[in-house]
Formats: sequence, C-alpha cells, structure tokens
Amino acid sequence: MLLLLLLASLTGCKADRAAQAPSRATDTARNGEPEWFVDRAHDVGIDFVHFNGMSGEFYFPESMAPGVGLLDYDNDGDLDVYLVQGTMLGANTISQAAFPPGNPLPLRGRLFRNDMTIHQDGTRTLRFTDVTERSGIDSRGYGMGVAVGDFNNDGCVDLYLTNFGPNQMFRNNCDGTFADVSKQSKTNDPGFSVSASFVDYDRDGWLDLYVGNYLDYTIEANQKCFLITGERDYCPPTAYRAQPDRLYHNNRDGTYADVTAKALVGGEYGPALGVATADFDSDGWLDIYVANDNHDNLLWMNQRNGTFRNTALSSGAALTSEGKAEASMGVDAGDFDNDGDEDLFITELTGEGSNLYVNDGTAVFEDQSARSGLGALSLPYTGFGTAWFDFDNDGWLDIMAVNGTIAAIEALRRANDPFPLRQRKQLFRNLANGQFEEVADRAGAAFQLSEVGRGAAFGDIDNDGDVDVLVGNDAGPTRLLINNVGDRKHWLGLRLVGERKRDMYGARVAVLRGKGSTLWRRARADGSYASANDPRVVVGLGDSTEAPTVRVIWPSGRVEEWARVAIDRYTTLIEGSGR
Amino acid sequence: MGEGGNRSVHDIDRRQRTVKGRTTLIGAGMIAWLIVSGSGCVSKDEAPRLRTVSLPDVSRAADSVQEQLRARYASLTLTAENANTAAAVLGNEYGEMGKLLMASEYRDAAEPCFLNAQALMPSDIRWPYYLAHLYRLRGEPAKSAAYFESTLRLQPDDVAALVWLGGIYLVQGRPEAAESQFSKALVLRPHLGAALFGLGRTALAKREYAGAVKYLEEALAQDQLASSIHYPLATAYRGLGDTDKAESHLRQRGQVDPLPPDPLMSELNGLLHSALAYERLGEKALDKKEWQAAVAYFRKGVEIAPDNASVRHRLGTALFLSGDAVGAAQQFEEVLRRSPDFAKARYSLGVLMISSGREREAIEHLSAAVKYDPRYVEGRLRLAEVLRRRGRLEEALAQYEQVMMIDPRAAEAPFGVAITFIHLRRYQDARDRLIEGMHEYPSQPAFARALARVLAAAPDDRVRDSQQAMTMTQQLIAQRQTVDLAETMAMTLAGMGQYKQAAALQREVMAAANKAGHQEVVKQLAENLARYERNEPCRTPLRADDPIEAFEPVLSQN
Repeated sequence: MLLLLLLASLTGCKADRAAQAPSRATDTARNGEPEWFVDRAHDVGIDFVHFNGMSGEFYFPESMAPGVGLLDYDNDGDLDVYLVQGTMLGANTISQAAFPPGNPLPLRGRLFRNDMTIHQDGTRTLRFTDVTERSGIDSRGYGMGVAVGDFNNDGCVDLYLTNFGPNQMFRNNCDGTFADVSKQSKTNDPGFSVSASFVDYDRDGWLDLYVGNYLDYTIEANQKCFLITGERDYCPPTAYRAQPDRLYHNNRDGTYADVTAKALVGGEYGPALGVATADFDSDGWLDIYVANDNHDNLLWMNQRNGTFRNTALSSGAALTSEGKAEASMGVDAGDFDNDGDEDLFITELTGEGSNLYVNDGTAVFEDQSARSGLGALSLPYTGFGTAWFDFDNDGWLDIMAVNGTIAAIEALRRANDPFPLRQRKQLFRNLANGQFEEVADRAGAAFQLSEVGRGAAFGDIDNDGDVDVLVGNDAGPTRLLINNVGDRKHWLGLRLVGERKRDMYGARVAVLRGKGSTLWRRARADGSYASANDPRVVVGLGDSTEAPTVRVIWPSGRVEEWARVAIDRYTTLIEGSGR
Repeated sequence: MGEGGNRSVHDIDRRQRTVKGRTTLIGAGMIAWLIVSGSGCVSKDEAPRLRTVSLPDVSRAADSVQEQLRARYASLTLTAENANTAAAVLGNEYGEMGKLLMASEYRDAAEPCFLNAQALMPSDIRWPYYLAHLYRLRGEPAKSAAYFESTLRLQPDDVAALVWLGGIYLVQGRPEAAESQFSKALVLRPHLGAALFGLGRTALAKREYAGAVKYLEEALAQDQLASSIHYPLATAYRGLGDTDKAESHLRQRGQVDPLPPDPLMSELNGLLHSALAYERLGEKALDKKEWQAAVAYFRKGVEIAPDNASVRHRLGTALFLSGDAVGAAQQFEEVLRRSPDFAKARYSLGVLMISSGREREAIEHLSAAVKYDPRYVEGRLRLAEVLRRRGRLEEALAQYEQVMMIDPRAAEAPFGVAITFIHLRRYQDARDRLIEGMHEYPSQPAFARALARVLAAAPDDRVRDSQQAMTMTQQLIAQRQTVDLAETMAMTLAGMGQYKQAAALQREVMAAANKAGHQEVVKQLAENLARYERNEPCRTPLRADDPIEAFEPVLSQN
C-alpha cells in the first residue's frame, strides 16, 4: 500500500519530460488533425547536433549558443540553411567534453543547400544537402550567430558569422562558393559577439552593419560562481563587464569603416544579445533596437545625419514598467496590433516574463506585457529566439519563443540530467484584441520537446505560403519545424528587392485591403536571437480572396504601389517598377 | 551520509542509493497512521494525504549548507518516525524543512513540505503564505495568487499578503483586482510605501496618470530609499506631458523596491548559512544604508568562507561606509593576502589612501589594480586623477587614453584628457578636446563648463574668446548656478575689460566660500580679486582644487 501511495504521489512530481524524438511516421495529431508544426530536420537531411564544448568548467559561452540562419545563397528561390557550431573551450580536449560531438569531425559551421522538389500536384519533397566543403566556408571557431545580407550589391547574399572570438565575413561569389573576406572587410571584431544586423542606416543603398557585443570575457579570466548553496554554476552576466557594440559603415569597396564613436552619440552600450532594426518613428530612416542582458536596452534613433541617439529610457523601451533591467535575449519588431507601427517583443528569464512594448507611432512605448497576457504566460520560461509571424495566416502577427534556461532546473538536476536547462517552446496566438493565448499544446509534438533552445530563424522553407521555423538547440539537434496550418488560409508572398536585386531590408509594406484594415509588414532578416530570417514578407489574408494593392516604402524613402497583387503565390517587387 | 541522487528510500530509480535505518523517509500511509494514533481524534478516513518528501543531492553544496540541510532532514525524519507525534509538531517539522529548502532555492523539494505542513496545520497561515511565494518565484502566478488568497482567508488583515497579491494581480493584467488589495493594505497600514507604490502602478496600468503621480509621490515621500519608485513616476509624469519632471525622476531611478514589512519572508531569507546568502542579505542592507547590519551579514559570510574574496571585499566596503576606515583597510589587505590579484581590493585600498591624503600609496595600489585587471576602467580613472594631482601629467594622459580605448561610455576619460591638457598648458588641445566632448556627450555639462573657463582665461590669445565665454557661461548659469560658473563669469568680465563688475562678482564668490567655511578657497580667490582691482585680467584658467576639474556625470536620461 505504501509503495502504491508513493507511486501515485510521484506522478504529481514536477519534472520536465526528457527530450524525445517526435513521431516521424505521420504529421497527424491524436485527434486526427494534422499537427500544426512537425520537425522534419532528420527526414530532410539536416542531421546537425550543436557541440558546446562543455567540460565542467562552466565557461560562459557554453550556455549561450547557437544561432541559426536562413538564406537563399544560390538564388534558386528557396531557403538554404546555415548552422553555427562550437568547439572545445580552454585546455580540455574533445575526449573530455561532457557531450561528445554528434557529427563527424572536424567541428565547423555547416551550409545546407535546399534541394526541394515541387511536384506537379503541388506537393513538396524537401531535401537538404550539406555543401559546406564545396562552399569554401571554413568556420571552426566558437560560433555564436548568423547575419545575412548582400553587402556588395552583387545580387548574392553574403554571410556574417558572430563568434566568441574574431567574427567572420564570407562574400558570396555567386557560384556556390564563398570567400573569407573577414580581414579585408575590416569587420573581424575580435570580441564576444552574438547578434548582428545588416542595415542601410544612411540610405546610400549599401548595407552597413551593426554588431552586438556581449561581455568582456576570456577563458583565462573565467570566474567561479556559485548557487546560494555553494554549488558551482554558470556566472551571471553581471560578473563581467559589457563589451561595446560596433557600427560599421559600408565603404562600397568591400570594406567597412568602424564609425561607432562618431555615429553612436553618447557611446552607450551594454551586454548585447538581440538586435532588431526598423523605422520606429516612421520618418523613413531605419533605427536600431538592442536588447541588453540585465542592463538598459538601447533604442538608437536615426538622426538622419549619420548619427544615432539612444532614446530608450525616455521612450519607455529601456526597462520594464517597474523600471527593471531584465535579461533580454531575443527581440523582434512587428506591427502586432495592425495600427501601422512597429512594436517590440523581447524574451526574458524565468520569473521575469517576456516583454511587449507597444509603439504609439512616435517611437514612444508602453509596457503592455501584463495587459496582453504575454508576461504571465512566459513567466515559467527563459526565452531566446523569437519572432513575430502569422503562423496561421489569419492576418494577425503571432509569436513563437524557443526556450531553455541558463540556470539549472531543479527537477532536471535531481534527475541527474547533465545539462539541466531544457524547456519546451511556446507559441502565442494573437487574439486580435491586444491579448494572446498560448497554443503550444495544439501545435504538435515538436512543441512539447524539452530542449535548450537558443536561435530561431523564421521563413517559408517549403515555399507553400506559411512561415516555418529553424531552431538551434544548445548541445542538441537542430529542429526544422514545418508549418502545416498556415497554408489553409490565403496569403500574399512578397520579395522586395532593389535595382541590383538585393533584398531591401527595412522596406515597409502596406497591404491595402478593400474590406479590411491595412496590414503593415516589413522585410527583414534580423531580430530573434543570433539568427538570420527569411527577408521575404508573408502576409496572412485569412479567408479573403481579394488581390490587394500593395504600397512599399523603400529604405531610400521612395514610395510605390502595385495594384491587384496576386495572392497565394510569391511576387517580386523591384524598386522603381511600381506606380 | 549518502551521496548522489535523491535520498529517499522510496525512490523508484534504482540507480540511486537507498537510505538506511533511521533516515528512512516516512510515506503517506504511515503518516496517516501516526496522526490517527497521535491525535486520538482524527479518524483514519479524515487523515490528510501527505506527499513524499526527500532531500535533494546536496553533496556539492558548501559544508555549512550540507550540515544544515541534513540536520533539518534528520529532525524531520525522527519526528515522523515517532508514533506519538502530534499533527502540529509534525506539521511544523515539515514547514521548517520547507523553509530551509526554499531558502536554498530547492523550490521543487520545498513544495511537498509546505503542502504537508498545510495539510497537518490547516489554520496556520505560514504554509499557504510560503507556498504563495514559492509559486511566485517559480513563475506560476495563478498558483501564487491562489495561495495568497488562501492566506488572506485565514488572516484577512495580513498586510504583506495583500501587497504581494496585488503585485501578482498586476502581473496577471488585473489592475482592478490589484487595486482592491493595495487599498485594503493601505487601510490597515496608512502611509505604507509598498501599498502606495502598488496603487501607483495600478493607476499607471489603467493609464490614470494623475492618480499614479499622486500615489507614487506619496510612496516616495514615505520611503525615500525606494529608488525603484522613480521610474514609474517618470512614466506617469510623461503621461501627463511633464517631460522635465519625467527626466528628473529618470535620473534618480534605481533598483531598490518598497517592500511591505514581511517577517515571514525575512525569517526565511535569513535561514541559510551560506556565504552567498549572507552576501545577498548584506547587499540588501547596503541598499537600505543599514551599514551595521550589512557589516554583520558580511562578517557571517566571511566566517563561513574566509577565502571568498568577494564577500570579504564587501565587508571592507561596509566597514568603510559605517565609518571604520581602519577596519575596512584590514579587510582589503586580508583579501589581498589570500587573493593577491583581486583588483577590486587594490582599488578600494587606493581609494582609502586617497581619502586619507596618502596619494603616493594610492598610486601604488591603483597601479596594481590595473595591472591585474587591465580593463578596470574605474581603477584607471582614479589612478589618472591622482597622477594628475601629483603633477605626473603625461602618465595621467596615458591612463585616460587607455580608458577611452576600453570604454567609449566613460565620458570622464576625454574630460580628464582635456583638464590634463590645461595643466600642460596645451590650451588649443584642451579647447578642441572639450568641443569634441560636448558633441560626443551632449548630456554631460562638465565639458561646457570647462570650455567656458578655457575661453575666459587661457593665456593663449589663439584660444581665449571672451565673447564666446560670456555666451556659454550665461547659458550654463541659466541652467544651474554654481560657484565655479560665477568665477568663470568674473574671469570673462575681466577679460572684456569690465574689471569693476568682475571684482564685484568675485567678492560675492568669496563671500559664499567664506560662509561655507572654505577659507583656503577664499585665499585663492583673493588673488584674482587683487588682479581685477588692479585692472588686470586672469590668465590662469584653473586654480588649485578647482571644482571645474571635478567631473560630475549626469546619468543618461536620453
């Protein structure tokens, strides 16, 4: 009787489920409906396991990587994948790693080419091929994140890798290969960089580069930190000083100039983790938001003269409504309330609750984390990669957060989990009234996996009109979550390019619907955490079959319109070709 | 006693060790029997159903923590095994175990302890109260609210529970419900800062900015050390369109919250004998400027972990703040004896030496600090300052330039360069550096103040510009009237040939200095007065210990 009673009580114990492989046999949930998202990584050839080099020394970078990237490097119209890899840290060898590498050596970042086939009946066969060797991308340092952008305006997207150590710039040769131009470009910042963003801040038609640097940290100066019980643990970021971010101006000749001191007036910085660029005050110039760890966030407002001023504090975007500087890992800007301006969502630590800062249109923000329900719903989780995306194409931007703590979860520690930081992902559906509900329990088995989620890149990987998600897990397998629900509604797909066929990051799109409100979206590859997104704009139209008018505000300031843009397909809009 | 795994005899994971003999954990069935036999008045059917409690693996915890947790667990086990144990006694044991586990941040392990305590002592408010906090800390606001509500059903006038519940309702986006709790708390404890703060935040959530200002201003008046009030107050003023007040409060923002008197949580937070626990308690005491309490906590931390440089360094800091400079120095020196490369202790000793006028020793300590921590910005700035004062100007410049490379935020560095240029009589360089500083750090008035002085009194004709000095000084005085600006104005007037006015103003400045008891300053000012009375201008921008040289940073306010 005693044992039975105890067994009964043990089932009430709070313990995360161990990571389990999702069902591959079918995309069908228990009720017979297709699962909203299904992890296809293994099926489609993305067999990648992140190696974090853990060896019991609690080196800081171990708990912070990896970002992931989506990019169409071969310009064949579908998204390829870049995955960042780690290495051993300190003097230990691979044989001393807590988790042996899950992929063959050597450890390096990997490029996977999308070889998708679309059949005549519209069905798709997704397949990825590891093309790292022939690509020429050799990245063997401790990788943190990915940023993508065509920095030389040759129509082929380039790759910028942030590292714990010198960053790397790979120029796309437009022939399937890349050249390492880190030194020549003068962007090989040697610091501890996490997120970066290509942004044309001065409207000269060339992509500049903002690099978010994290901490002034070295392995040699690694400090020992402890839990309240005296047990060793990872240090908090406050144990180290922050490193200054960098703003690089594109010289148009393959090189960049470091204009940080001149351009970022006041020189403020903090331990930067997330970077998102958008025109927050709708003045036609791109601004930069930086999420800092346990420090005031920054809102660099473009002064339209090559300089920026940080207005985060006075505009309500630096701190929570209580004045707290929170952890702030992932960030994205998006018009969730369809009022025409860019709002901010920032992921935070367990116990802090993620933050929603709502823009009044003039880059003044109100903390609506509590009112929206997002704060309370995210309290038990530590969020990293995140984005605004309309997963069900109903016309309202939803949010996904990939989670995983940085402090040991007690239940996992008790279960002797060697990396007790695992949490499941969250999906928040926009209720169209300023509030959100969590729907991860309906999203599929992939959302119930407890992993140490970090980077997340959002994009339409199978080109079926809904947004899929690529997830990077710390010391875990990459997940490719294919969206099965968004394509049940109508949608509008746009690729916004300049005259030189470069994706025009920051271009704002107004979808003018005759029978509905205007939907505002933005072309962007940045945001999330250390990751690069699909710059195409996928706009959910719900049940509307009307072909809308699309107005584009280009980063140059030019405004153009296209009437009756076809729905349920992708259309490329080229600057200069509209009305 | 055991190591590895959960120490429960009933653990079904066979990899973990079995605990033997007297430390065997009691299961639910036996508890029920004990209650029946112990109380004599609870039937078997009415016996509360208890949860399994086990001690987490504490083998990697500090010895003091292991001892404490094991002793408490042993006491619980012994009590539970005793057939004559009354429900209340057993309930207390579970509760105390829960408290200690919670203090150790083993919240999952604490949960069943508190639930058992509550089951055994259902009218005791401690257990639902601690459960409410446990769920709050675990990020489960719904459960937290439920248990604060339970607490209040048992004791409706518990002010701490009312305030905390109000806070949870705010997190849940329920301002109306929150307002009700804070209002009740205020009725019970009029002028309670935490309740006023809650009402202020509630009003902000409802966008009732005037009401928010009213409550938050009152909260600040009641609890001036609660610096976290400033930020929401700034938001409220901004909502009313009063940007000046908003900016003023933003400048004063901090992280110290107004909290209700909370004896239960204070007791829990003081339970754990660990260095970090005492360090945290000491930090909270420092925030509240309770220096002696801080000293006491840090001392306890040092007793447990004598080699912990951080705690000992904090002890030294607390001693210094409490007025015991000698004690502080002893602790800093002890830190260095055990950890010679602990740069903060070297820095602290350097600062102590400066404050007691021992500048040569200060230079040694500060130099060592930056040798061990080359990116120690504050260390380099203090070193540069004292080198400058000692006339070692080139060395001072080198330190400032290092800081500028390390930290572009540190406006004090380029300012220090400019002041050093003045001492080196490189007036053009000084002027140029100050102009750059004004552009790079527009919110830092020190650059403008110093530039006005250089323009007023530089002996270099290529640099001196009385007209511009007058314009700048008038603008600066309009923002804030200071003695040094009055001196600058006097210099400017003299530079323009208006010696009578210059002398009159200088006499006013001297009177102010005299009234403030600064006799040395009065003597220095007399030299310029004599010049003005002789119809001579001043050609020395800086006097000894000139306040213009002091960099008073303005916290970023955007």
